[in-house]
Amino acid sequence: MFNPFDFAEHPGRAYLIATLLPLVPVILLLIAATARNMARSRSHTDSFASRVYWLLGGDRPLKTGGYLSLVFLLASFGLSVWGLLNFFEESHTLHDQPKELSKRWAERGDWLRIGAAKGIRPAAALQTGYRIDPLSALMFTMVTGIGSLIFLFSLGYMNEETEETVEDHAAHTTRRGRFGRFYLYLSLFAFSMLNLLIADNLFQVFVGWELVGVCSFFLIGFYYERKSASTAANKAFIVNRIGDAGLLIGIAIAFATFGTLNFQDLAELIDGRQPSEMSHGLWILMGLGLFVGCVGKSAQVPLQTWLPDAMEGPTPVSALIHAATMVAAGVYLVGRCYPLFAPEVFLTIAYCGLITLILSASVALVMTDIKRVLAFSTCSQLGFMMLALGVGAWTAGLLHLLTHAFFKALLFLGAGSVIRGCHHEQDLRQMGGLRRKMPITAYAMLVGVLAISGIPFFSGWYSKDQILSSALGYSVAHNRHALLFFGPLIAAGMTAFYMFRLWFLAFTGPPRNAEVYRHARESPFTMVLPLIALALCSLGIAWGWPPWDAEASFLGHMLHEGEPLAARTFAHARESAEDHHLAAGGLALLAAVIGAAYSWSLYGRRAPTTAQLTEPTGVLAKRWYFDDVYDFVFLRGSLRLAALAAKADRSGPEQPRRYTLDGAMSGFAALAVFGGRQLRKIQTGSVRQYVLALVLTLIGLLGMLSAFAR
Amino acid sequence: MADVGLAPFQILAAFLFACGVACLVTKRNAIGLLMGVELILNAANLNLVAAARFVPGLRIEGQVFAVIVIVLAAAEAAVALAIFLNFYNNHATVDVDRANESKG
Repeated sequence: MFNPFDFAEHPGRAYLIATLLPLVPVILLLIAATARNMARSRSHTDSFASRVYWLLGGDRPLKTGGYLSLVFLLASFGLSVWGLLNFFEESHTLHDQPKELSKRWAERGDWLRIGAAKGIRPAAALQTGYRIDPLSALMFTMVTGIGSLIFLFSLGYMNEETEETVEDHAAHTTRRGRFGRFYLYLSLFAFSMLNLLIADNLFQVFVGWELVGVCSFFLIGFYYERKSASTAANKAFIVNRIGDAGLLIGIAIAFATFGTLNFQDLAELIDGRQPSEMSHGLWILMGLGLFVGCVGKSAQVPLQTWLPDAMEGPTPVSALIHAATMVAAGVYLVGRCYPLFAPEVFLTIAYCGLITLILSASVALVMTDIKRVLAFSTCSQLGFMMLALGVGAWTAGLLHLLTHAFFKALLFLGAGSVIRGCHHEQDLRQMGGLRRKMPITAYAMLVGVLAISGIPFFSGWYSKDQILSSALGYSVAHNRHALLFFGPLIAAGMTAFYMFRLWFLAFTGPPRNAEVYRHARESPFTMVLPLIALALCSLGIAWGWPPWDAEASFLGHMLHEGEPLAARTFAHARESAEDHHLAAGGLALLAAVIGAAYSWSLYGRRAPTTAQLTEPTGVLAKRWYFDDVYDFVFLRGSLRLAALAAKADRSGPEQPRRYTLDGAMSGFAALAVFGGRQLRKIQTGSVRQYVLALVLTLIGLLGMLSAFAR
Repeated sequence: MADVGLAPFQILAAFLFACGVACLVTKRNAIGLLMGVELILNAANLNLVAAARFVPGLRIEGQVFAVIVIVLAAAEAAVALAIFLNFYNNHATVDVDRANESKG
């Protein structure tokens, strides 16, 4: 009998419970919403339905849904912290018994058996299972922790959704508040993301992958009355489908070749060497397929265009899904599939990350919408992670994933606090001087800015320093790839520049828009508390002893225990990285300081007026023309193709058209009518004719039998 | 008698069956149709009895079936005659082609 609470024997099941916990509010909210909607029409009668309706909040959405989701996610967070502590303790005590460790922290079972019939090549099965290792344990705790803080933040941020009617100025409509729906989607997202993290096989990852995709779609389109929001939701969904097609191809190749999708099994079968079961080309194709999925989800070039548009969603969503967790799933999967990749694939990953981090950072330099700056910054930081993974710095890349999650969540929540304080003003050119009105937000965000810029002792420094030294080591070991170091170095300078620019424009100098400034106020307690907590994490999450040694981060060491053996193929580059560590760190710091100082000289020393901050133009403001090219080639291309087809269809001589597609459709209909008419003639009603037909048929059948049976 | 074998009986039964079918297909007279049906049923009866006699392993079964078929034929004839009688009362004819009033 399967006992999910058997923690003594299988402590890993705590994670199973923790994954399922967010599903409880989803179900409860669904039931409550359905009941409320069914009872609404009878709300003013004296009936049971009416009592249910008023019990569930009546015309105003009940705030309980939010509290409920928060409590369940907090429980999940508690379980994952317990699991994290136990796991690391056991991984030390059971250090020499990996079998015992994996028995206690991983389980799997067949979900769907395929090809067990006789004559079909080896019986395979789609499995489900979970496996806890340092990476998944840390990611799990990060997601539930940041998730809880953002759930708390949203209680304040989404407060106006608890009103009976909400006025949507952007869409010029009024509508009912959607508080419960927001938490329904967020909880569903939490469940999907956690499922993705504990999965021990590609199939289950794919399920979680699609689930988080659809939650992202729902939440980007949360204000679906706005055209821009519904378009952005569609764009995100469709662009992600392109990546998912690649992922599915990769999964299919792995399954067809090896008959298993379990990470552990695949790692043993492949482990960085070309497996004998497949040709080299197929091996590369499999890796590229998996990577294309990650490109879509992690918004790397060329599929990055959806992420900036995803900022149409509510800001807590941008923080949780489009900065801290879901978009990091691509990086996470690359880290998971590390042993599966061919050397050529690693090079592709590195260069894809390089292009993304440069292009996105350069666009972030000129953006004036506070959330867009952060969105492009997210793309760019994800590029850093991809580049790190591509040059063999597994630990550095995933450490950056963890630290980035904290400071980017902080920055987004800070932006949310500013936007709410300024009554939904997102344009940096209308802000200024807000430091005096919202000091906690301002200084919490400053911590985030320092962390993302890679200033020493802030969490971002530890990871970025490791990434840059690995990149330098790699480009020293492989001279041709020197760009892999100089690219991120320049981008690190740009990062410091645009982040300080954001901070200076929003918080210092004289107010640019007196109206906005006058109404600005600090956010309520529920929103400030997560900011403070995240600021503390952004500061100290990666600390170690001694703190001035970037290599000594405790978080880094914990993560390092989970490093796959496949990373050893980069031994050459790693040795050289150790030699050049100091140089890389110094250069990175120099770049950050130059960027920050230049930013100060432009925006901090003498604050520019609104008139000086003109609408940005040029290639950067156009985001390197990616959107325009896609619009021209794919969108208009397919529209043009459709128009062409429609025109061809209408080119027949008469109505209904006789020759083209219309004609074919009408032809089938005409054939059916004609056949019916003919068949009607043989139904005469004369019994004698029926008997004759019967006998003739019988004779015919017997004749056939005697002809063929011998 | 034992040396005659099964074949002549079957040939006779087939001939009777063919006659019955021909009768069914060609006659318009309701009584004629009933006679055709009787011929077909008797052809089957002959087959059954002959098989019971000549096929090893079969003993009384064929004869039992034959008796059942006779009873069935009697019942069927009774019902059919009752219908035709009624039809004759209403239409003063037993031509089945005239029985087309419920044709859609």
